[in-house]
Amino acid sequence: MMPRNPLIYLILALTLMSLNGCSQGPVTWRRVTLNQTISTEDVIFIVPGKTDISAVVERLGAPNDILASKDEIVTRYYFTDGKYFKANYGWGFRFLIPFFAPDLDLGGGGIGRDVFQVTYDNHWLVRDHAFAFHSRSSEFLAWPFRD
Amino acid sequence: MKSIIGDYMKPFLLGMLILNFLTITGCAFIRGNYGEELGQGDITTIQKGISTRADVATVLGAPDRIIEANGREIFHYYHYDVKSGSVFIFSRTNIKSDDTFVILNGAGVVEEVVSGKRKGPLEFQFWPFDWPFR
Repeated sequence: MMPRNPLIYLILALTLMSLNGCSQGPVTWRRVTLNQTISTEDVIFIVPGKTDISAVVERLGAPNDILASKDEIVTRYYFTDGKYFKANYGWGFRFLIPFFAPDLDLGGGGIGRDVFQVTYDNHWLVRDHAFAFHSRSSEFLAWPFRD
Repeated sequence: MKSIIGDYMKPFLLGMLILNFLTITGCAFIRGNYGEELGQGDITTIQKGISTRADVATVLGAPDRIIEANGREIFHYYHYDVKSGSVFIFSRTNIKSDDTFVILNGAGVVEEVVSGKRKGPLEFQFWPFDWPFR
């Protein structure tokens, strides 16, 4: 038996109109990470002049990059965190104006690329090590117009 | 006064709303990788002070990148593994790098092999926040 209530037809129409599988909801949170964070506690075992590259690699894994610098070798571990937020403030219009539903996307995010750098001498002993933290640039932004 | 929507219609409407919610959002889990993963067995056959540039190329293949550093030649092999999960309005993609460096001295003999897994397992996740919200 076919439903005769107009509300049923309205819901059916709205449902069929929204059956486009690739569309997204009104809000979206996304996050992308490259490798797990290396903390200061993770590198406490490193003693300059004593710890060699084998010990570092055994604990931290292989670095992402090796660079040459004068008489030393520089290794770098990258770990990146990216956050993104988007809200479509026009999403609700599709229920009021089915034939014209403008999108009004506002949002933003950021990518913070942290680096842990270890410098070795020619005998592969650690000369020094340091962090470069930029993780504060990784955040969900709801309002893109701020300074 | 009787409701405009009969009681018999409530489960139907609820079902339609759930269907609507699921079809406009959905979920997905995707796996991908970049580059070939080197076998640990292959890496252990490379011996420091003995294996040559040709031996390395025979066992591991051509490197993805060659770096010149202080009279040394460094063969760089890399592999990336990706796991991505999307559930409703949440999405998270985790990428893990796996690099191997073979360092050759000026004579073309292996001086050092730098290989090891980065810490932490690579997981499928969809929750984008550090617990609970951050």
